Formats: sequence, structure tokens, C-alpha cells
Amino acid sequence: MAGQAKMRPFYLIGFLLLVAFDTAAQIGFKFSATNTSPASFTPEWILSVICEKWSYLSLAGYLGAFVTWMTLLKTAPIGPAFAASHLEVVTVMIICVTWLHEKLTLPQIIGSLLIVGGIILFAVAEAEIEEPIELGTTPDAGTV
Amino acid sequence: MSAAATLMWFLTLVFDTFGQLALKAAAGADGDGLAHWKAMAKDKWIYFGVSAYVIEFFVWLAFLSMVPLSQGVLVGSVNILTVIIGGRIFFKEALTPKRIVASIMVAAGVGLIGWAS
Repeated sequence: MAGQAKMRPFYLIGFLLLVAFDTAAQIGFKFSATNTSPASFTPEWILSVICEKWSYLSLAGYLGAFVTWMTLLKTAPIGPAFAASHLEVVTVMIICVTWLHEKLTLPQIIGSLLIVGGIILFAVAEAEIEEPIELGTTPDAGTV
Repeated sequence: MSAAATLMWFLTLVFDTFGQLALKAAAGADGDGLAHWKAMAKDKWIYFGVSAYVIEFFVWLAFLSMVPLSQGVLVGSVNILTVIIGGRIFFKEALTPKRIVASIMVAAGVGLIGWAS
């Protein structure tokens, strides 16, 4: 348990960074897509995407997210980590509503609460589990 | 969904799950900092993982050309469950009742937002 407690700040900072990079990438995609619309897959359209400054926010976001994700995966369990990375869906939605004035519906609010609730439950579950850090080590007792 | 769309959905699940598990395998390479990245660069799994994502990108595009985006995101959220099952099978990760409920909550949340959008 001491090992897990020691890793908590690493996971917290890592996941916040991951969500920030993923969110930046998606916002970059949105602005890039809007500024180069309509998408036609012609050489001219591809060139306009390359020349569009928002495309580089997406690229930087993707690279940052990849580096953060691989660093997290060195010790984080893939199942819960992959699920928790979906917090990005909520942060992108919040930015779309506040900055882009997109409409927020009741199912979206309920969906967001389910995601946040699920991630909190993962955090609670982590406190009870001693996960094997290295590959091939014995898993914790009492698993299904 | 048509038979073709169902096949594409299945393939997105396969490539997405395989890609994540391959990246996890690569991330287990030895070393810290730069040494860890050098070890990963020599590991075949990182190339399998990235390749799976490139393929999945095109399969996902093909899938979305067959179904509305909301339906695609809704059924695509199942990948959260397949990755957690894969983590259990290949990395012996704990699958406690709390983790199962948490996974279902996140998958349901993503699916609901996709369906509502």
C-alpha cells in the first residue's frame, strides 16, 4: 500500500497532463477543421490543413499525450488508466459549451457525471489494490 | 447496424484493444527517463501498438461512413470494457467489483454523451 500511496501524486499529475494534452489536441482539431472546411481530401485541402496554425496545437497535443501516456503506462494498470483517460470527453464538452457556445443537454450532463463518478470509483478502488508494478509478477490476492 | 458496419465495429474494438495492450507491453521496458525511451524504441510492441492505431484510424473512418457519429461513439465505448478485460488476461491486473462498476460507469457515460450529441 505504501508503494501505491507514493505513486498517487505521479498518477494525479500524469492524468491531469494527459487530459490537458488530449483536450488541447481536440480543440485544435475543431478550429483547424472549421478554418479549412469543407474537407475534400484534395492536395489543396491537405496544404490548407498543413498551413493552418491550429493543426499544430493538435500535433503538439497528440505528441504530449503520447509521451505522457507511455510514461504513465510504465506503472499504471492499462484497464483503469484507459478508462480514466476518457475524462477528456468531459473536458472537451465543457470547453465546447463555455467557449464555443454549444448546447448542453441532460443526457450529456448525466453522461459526464457517470464518467467523473466512474473515475472517482477507480481512485477509491486503487487505494484497496496493490498492483504488480513489473510485468510477470504475481497479481494481488482476492481478484476475480 | 448492417453486417458490414458490425464487422467494422468489431475490427475497431480488436485494433483499439490490441493497440492499447501493445503500448502497455512496450511501456514495461527497462530503464528510466531517456533510457526507458531508448529501450521502448527497440521493443517491437511499440511498433505493433502504433501500427494498430494507424490501421484503427482508417477502420474507424470506414465505420463512421456507415453509421451516424452518435451511434458510432455509443457502440465504440465498449472498448473501455475490452481493454480492462485484456489487462486482466495479459497483465494479471486486478479486476475487483469496484473496478468493474467504475468501467461500466465510464463506458455508459461516454456512450450516453455520444448518443446525445
